[in-house]
Order: sequence, then structure tokens, then C-alpha cells
Amino acid sequence: MRIALNILQALILILGAPLVRGIIARCKAFLQRRQGASIWRPYSDLAKLFHKEDLVPPTASSVFRLVPFGLFGTTICVAAFVPLVQPSALLASRGDFILFVYLLAMGRFFLSLGALDGGSAFGGMGASREALISSLAEAPFLLSFVAVAILASHADFAGMVAWTLQQNIFNVSAVHMLAFTSLAMVVIAETGRMPVDNPTTHLELTMIHEGMVLEYSGPRLALIEWSSAVKLHAMLALLVALFFPWGMVSNVSAGAVILALLLYCAKVVLLIVLLAVIESGMAKLRMYLVPDFLGVASAVSALAVIFTMLDKR
Amino acid sequence: MDMAFGVLLVTLGLIVPLILMVSRAKKTRALAIALIVGSNVVGCFVAALCFWQQSVVLVDFSSFTPFSFALGIDRLSAFFLLLICTVAVPVAIFSISYFDNHYGEQRRNRIWAFFSLFLVSMILVVTASTGFAFLVGWELMTLLSAGLILMEGDSTERRHNVFLYLVMMHAGAAAVAGSFFLFLPYSHTLDFASMRTASGVVPAGIRTLIFLLAFLGFGTKAGLIPLHIWLPRAHPIAPSPVSALMSGVMLKTAVYGFVRFVFDFLGGGPWWAGYAVLAVGAVTGLLGILYAIAENDLKCLLAYSSVENVGIIFLGLGTSLIFLAHQAPVWAGLALVGALLHAFNHALFKSLLFLGAGAISKATHTVDLEKLGGLQNRMPVTGAAMLVACCSIAGLPLFNGFIGEWVIFRSLLAGSALNSTKAQVILPLVVGILAMIGGLAAACFVKVFGVAFLGRPRSQAAEEAEEVPFAMQAALSSLAVACLGIGIFPGLFLRPLVSLVQVLVPGAGVLPETVSIARIIPCAAAIILVVSIAAALLKRRERIARTWACGLPGLTSRMQYTSTVFSKPIRFVFSSAYKPDRKIDRLPPDQPYFPQSIAYRSVRTTYYEKAIYRPFAEMILSVARQLRRMQTGNIQVYLLYIFLTLVLLLTFLRFQK
Repeated sequence: MRIALNILQALILILGAPLVRGIIARCKAFLQRRQGASIWRPYSDLAKLFHKEDLVPPTASSVFRLVPFGLFGTTICVAAFVPLVQPSALLASRGDFILFVYLLAMGRFFLSLGALDGGSAFGGMGASREALISSLAEAPFLLSFVAVAILASHADFAGMVAWTLQQNIFNVSAVHMLAFTSLAMVVIAETGRMPVDNPTTHLELTMIHEGMVLEYSGPRLALIEWSSAVKLHAMLALLVALFFPWGMVSNVSAGAVILALLLYCAKVVLLIVLLAVIESGMAKLRMYLVPDFLGVASAVSALAVIFTMLDKR
Repeated sequence: MDMAFGVLLVTLGLIVPLILMVSRAKKTRALAIALIVGSNVVGCFVAALCFWQQSVVLVDFSSFTPFSFALGIDRLSAFFLLLICTVAVPVAIFSISYFDNHYGEQRRNRIWAFFSLFLVSMILVVTASTGFAFLVGWELMTLLSAGLILMEGDSTERRHNVFLYLVMMHAGAAAVAGSFFLFLPYSHTLDFASMRTASGVVPAGIRTLIFLLAFLGFGTKAGLIPLHIWLPRAHPIAPSPVSALMSGVMLKTAVYGFVRFVFDFLGGGPWWAGYAVLAVGAVTGLLGILYAIAENDLKCLLAYSSVENVGIIFLGLGTSLIFLAHQAPVWAGLALVGALLHAFNHALFKSLLFLGAGAISKATHTVDLEKLGGLQNRMPVTGAAMLVACCSIAGLPLFNGFIGEWVIFRSLLAGSALNSTKAQVILPLVVGILAMIGGLAAACFVKVFGVAFLGRPRSQAAEEAEEVPFAMQAALSSLAVACLGIGIFPGLFLRPLVSLVQVLVPGAGVLPETVSIARIIPCAAAIILVVSIAAALLKRRERIARTWACGLPGLTSRMQYTSTVFSKPIRFVFSSAYKPDRKIDRLPPDQPYFPQSIAYRSVRTTYYEKAIYRPFAEMILSVARQLRRMQTGNIQVYLLYIFLTLVLLLTFLRFQK
């Protein structure tokens, strides 16, 4: 039963990912007083891409061809780490947050290589900028998990979430607030959202993620787009699971699972609205202000780790 | 076993150099190479047996030598012997066509003889069980590697670099010898066994001194910042297979020495020792990778990245010492496992990277990243092996570099459970530093592989590159397979390492943490592989199409991002770590707004050189200048010196009685 639920969780994460993108786009459209596309639009985009033919630059090597598959594989593996409706997931009991972070880094590594293999100017530009941002984001990313892991004295997501579930909802500590803040900032940077990167741009001066995928088309582009959607969904789900897990089921029954699912959807939609407000309300940062943004995230996460000393329960 | 080990030493140390000296025929050389490879394979087996089954080997040469000279293989030695021999086999196979390609008939024999002796000297260091044997090996290792560097040519610049290398190595060797001799009053012999037992009676002050000297001496050899300045000069100028041995293996002998002294003999240092080692390791790691990323010369970049990895290893060792000082042997053991495992992994992927650099230089005659590009299409096997190495060194899961770093991460995390506020705060925060090192390493090796192997070729030479001969491919692929093997099935290696550490750190136990990664990684690998292959099997139509070039006739290689510009954002953000001296010359100088030519230069002089080395060198020179006054060249004065010395010694004797 638990395993079936774990598989269901992974499927929700993977198949629901385009929907998350659709809702974000719709929210942003609403905030900008536009009509906006349907929230199911990303699915039809993916379907369209899967039916198109794959164009490959003449100089590209096998690396360019294989990168999307490797990226998709690692992203699916990452999705198997995140608990949604119960405090466990396929890989969450043995796999710890270090493996999680490094699997994400692996996907990014592959994507940067694919970008450089395109042989055009924009791929390198995107890869180089991504290299800067990701190398600076790594420290706050791990440190905010470290803070929570120390409190829970577990390094795996299952243990961390289970510990938080047992705490009183009103007994939120400074560590949690700090860790949540820095992790949210990292999520914005890692998934290429405003104000770090603009996901809707195709202007060479501003693009990071879009620059890297510029030479891809057809099914390969579909896999890359789907992977980044899954990554975004997994990160949001992780924020929910680590900091607002209340409502997850510990004893599996049909009613409880449905309730937990609905609660999960509500929590993610709330986060999405928050993200849309941030994205609509902020201008994109200049490239060289991004290190300051991530520097703040690092400082906040370091504070979170230091504060764990005062918060031994 | 003892027999096999003795035969290995004699073959590499005597027979191979002798037959290479006697005959220059092609067949003899082939025989010598076969002997080198064969004896290293034997060495692998001996080491593996000792490592996995804990048998002990002892070979005593004391009856042939004036001082006690014995070699022994315990578990720690076996681990490092395994490291040396495992790397030596593919390096030797790679060297066959590399040396044939690069050297004339008469130099080839010499370089093979040196190669063989260099291997013996490293084996001596890690298997010595007396101080003299250790120091002999240590000194030989330095001199032979210097000889191998000079084999490649002897320009003034090269000689200058080798001189710096020798000076630094001998300063380090003096510190190492000093830490040996400090034991002497208490242990009476320099036998390792008696040193170990004597360490209980060594007073605290002397113990601190021994620790400091060992840290300084082995730190110089390992290339810890700021003692690293020789490393990025000496390693890149050696022939590529020798660079592979120097970076991959020789640096590890310093790690061995440090572990032997601090963990085996002293059983931990003073309370601050761990923090000092941790701090130096962290700084070395961070600065090392920042310097690496700024380099465009592939071999120079790899040398700096060795500095970084040594930093990570010492970071692990420092963590272990902190746990030891706080009486937490279980976690001390875990951190030590991480450090040792990373040392082994680094030996594998760094030698693979250097051999790959050798393959590139054979195919294109350059290792300048700005002149490479597009090699993956031209050298698919080399490219695949290099990709594995780049993923490993970037610490990606499923590759071996990740495992060692993961173990160190987990032990740092455990620091929060210690009963000291200092450790509780510092250790978990170091996770952030290690993460940053990892992130920068990933950026650095995206650049290496992306610029050298992907995209369009940036020069004629890269355009015309061809795949290297089969022997080279075999050497590269075998190392790549080893990296992947340890990366996906780490349990095979972790378990014997835990039992090795239990010998060094009494009370260390098998933690569930150490084994958990061994269980999860194969699962993750299976998921990734199955999903990736399934995605690759999707039905699709593929067409090769030219990239749209914004209306221009077509893309050229000059439109690609270069190595310099790829690292520019990182260099810009971390400019305070580089402190470049930029100079812009506009000609003619009286017309600043309408220059006819603008020349731009950016030179990086590291501030250690300005702040530490230059004043130090000047001090030594001024002392030497003062001492020169004694050298008058007048024979009467020298006779006076002799007489005065005699008088001094006689009075000394008189008073001693």
C-alpha cells in the first residue's frame, strides 16, 4: 500500500508538473490584467513538440544528442525523493538531501554540456551564466537542508518530514523561518525564475536557461522542458513537505489520502500564487547582482545553521 | 606474498633499469615495459590481498644496509600500494605510444628507466617501516620526478621551475626528517613499531612540534595553499603520463605520510590541530578551484584542480581530527574513510584527466583550451573517457568523486551532535564551503569538457585531430571503468576501508550511514538508466540542419564562447581572490581618444609570492651575503676555521662529561 502510494506520489510530481507551469502563467496573466492561456496549455505544447522533428546542428556530437535523455532520467530520479502525501517516497528513506542536491547538479551539468555542444554563441552564454549561478547557489541550498536535518537529526527527507509532522504547528522556530527563506530564494535561482532569470524571454542579454536550450527542438526540447517543469514542481513540493507538512497521512486509508492530496494541492497553489506575485512585482536583476541575491541566501542559511544550536528539542 | 613483493621491488628497481641501460634494442625495451606492467599487476594483487584480507607482509633488508631498512605492508600501506599500482598499470600502457611519439630513440630508454625507478620510490615511501627507508624513498621520489621533468627539455624557464620544485621539496623533506628525529630520544630507533609505542611517553610540547613539522612537511608535498606554489609550475611541464603519476599518485604519498604520523603514531594532535587542518584544507580547496577555473592551459588547470582536491582530502582529515579531539571515534573514523576514499578516487580520475590531456596533445599538439574544440566527434573514445573523468571530479552521483565527498559531508553533518559549541557551529557550516567547492568544480569541468571536446574546432590542429592508438584508448577506458565502478558500487570499497580505519582509530565502528549510500546509489543508477533509455527509444524523426546565424552566412568557431569568456563571470565575482594586474597600453600616449593601437595585458601574480615568498627569499639571500664574508678564499683563514671548530668541539666534549 505504502509503495503504491509512493509510486502515485512520483507520478503526480511528474505528470502534474506541466500543470504547475500552466497555473503560474495563468496567475501572472491575471496579475497583469491579461486574458492568459488555459492552464492546460503546457500539455498541448509538450504534445506538439513530441510530434515535431528533431533538428540537430551539423557540428553537434553524440553528447548533444544524449543530454536530454540523461537530464530527463536524473530529473525523474530526483522526483522519486520528494514526499507529497505521506512522509515517505520511493527513495526518500535511504537517499539523503546531499544525493538530492547533487542529482540536480548532475542534470544541470549535462544541460550545460549540451548547450556548449550546439556550437553557437548563445549556448555558451547560457552555460557560463548558469555555471556562476549554480556554483553560488550550491552552498545555501545544502545549508538550508543542513539546518532542518540537524533539528530533525535525520538526513533523509522521510525522517525530516516525519519529525516536522510531530511538532506543533504553532511552534515554528527561527531556524525553520530562516531555512525556508533561503531555500525559497535558492528555488527561485535554481529553477530560473524572476528575479534571477526570466523564463519567458528570448533576448540574448537576459537569457540563461533559455539560452542553453536554444538549439534544441522537437522531442528533445520537449524532454528538456518537461524536466525543468518537474524540477520546479519537485522543489515547490519539497518546500511544502519540509516546512508545511501538516495534513500528510501517517496511516494510509483512502479518505485520508484524498484529503491529504487536496491539502497538498491547496498548499502548492498558494506557493504558486506567491511565486507569481514575486515574478510580476519584481524586475529581473542585473547579472552581477545575482551573486548578492545568493549571498543573502547564503547568509540566511548560515544563520539558520547557527541557530540550530539554540533550538535543541 | 613476501616473495612476490620482493620480486616486484627488485624487478622495478634493479632489473628494468639495468636491462634498459645495457641494450637499446627495441625488443629489450618491450621486455622492460612488459616487466613494469607485469610487476605492477602483481603489486595490485599483493596490495589487494593485504587490503581485503589483512595479511601482513614484511621484507627486511637491514642485513644489506648500514642502517635498519625494512619494508612492511599493513592495511594502511596496502591501501596506498593498491592506489599506486592500480594507477601505474594504465599509465604505463598509455606511455608506450606516448613516449614513442614524443622522444627520440636514445632518450626513450632513459625515460623508461626513470619511470620504473620513480614507481619504486613511491612504493618505498608507502611501504617503509623504518624512518630511514621512508626518507630514502621520499628523497628519491623528489629527485626522480625532477629528472623526469627535465627529460622533456631544459629551457631556462623549465630549469627555474624545477629549481623551485626542488627547493620547496627539500624544505618539506627537512620538516619531515625533523618530525622523525624528534621521536628519537623516546623511541631510540626509527622503527615504526617502536615509534608507535613510544608516542605515549612523548611530552605534550614535543608532540605539538612533531604535529606541526609533519603538517608543514607533508603539506608542502601535498600542495596545501600557501605551500603550493611549486605544484602548478612543476606538474604541467612534465610529460603527461608523468604528470598523471605526480598529480594522481605522488601527492597521495603526502596524505599517507600525514595519516601515518598524525593518526598512527600520534593518535591525534593537540585540540586545535583539527581546526587548523580543516581551515587550511577549506582555503586550499576554495582557492585551488578558483585558480583552476581561470586557467586556459589544460594541464595547468588540472594541476590547480589537484590543489583543490588535496584541500578536500585535508578538510576530511581535519574533520576527523576534530572528532578525535572530542572523543567521538565513530565519526572520526567516518571522516577518515571519506578522506582516504577521496584520495583514491582522485588518483583515478586525475590520472585519467592527465592522460586525456596527453591524448589531446598527441592528437593536436596543444593543450591550450582556446585552440581546441569539437574533439568529441574526432576522438569519441578519448572523449567518452574524459567525460567520465569530468563528471567524477565534479562530484556527480554515479561517479566515484561523489562517494568520498558524500562521506565527508555526512561526517561534517554529524558535528552538530558533539558536545562543544565550537564544533557544533563550525562543522555544519563547513558543509557550505564544501558545497561551494563542489559547485565551482562542476563549473570548471563543464568548461574543460565543453570547450575542448564540444562545439566547433577552434584551430586547424583541432579540426584535423584523429583518435589516438588503441593502447592509449585502452588505458583511458580502463580508468574510466574504474571510476564508474566505484561510483555505482561503492560498497565494495567502503567496507574494507572501514576496517582499515578501525585499526587507525580505536573505537571506530561500521555506521549504517556508510552503507546506506552503497544501497541507494545502485537504485538511483537503475532508475536514471531505465528512464533515460526509455526516453531515448521514443519514436522521433531526426534531421541535421544548419543553425540559424541571425542572417549571417553561417556560424564560425569565432562566434562560440571561449574558455576565457566562459570563466569571466566567476572571475569577475571572485576578483578579490585573483587580484590581477591589468595593464592597458594605448599608442600613441599623447592622443588618448584616438589611439592607433591598444594593448591589454592581464598578469596574475599570486600575493603569496609578494607577501610570503619574496621577503623570505630576500632574507635568505641577505643572510647568504653576510655568510659570504667568511669565504675569503684565503687558505690561512680556512685553517683557522678548522682549528676553531676543533677547539669548540673539544670544549663541548669536556663540558658534556
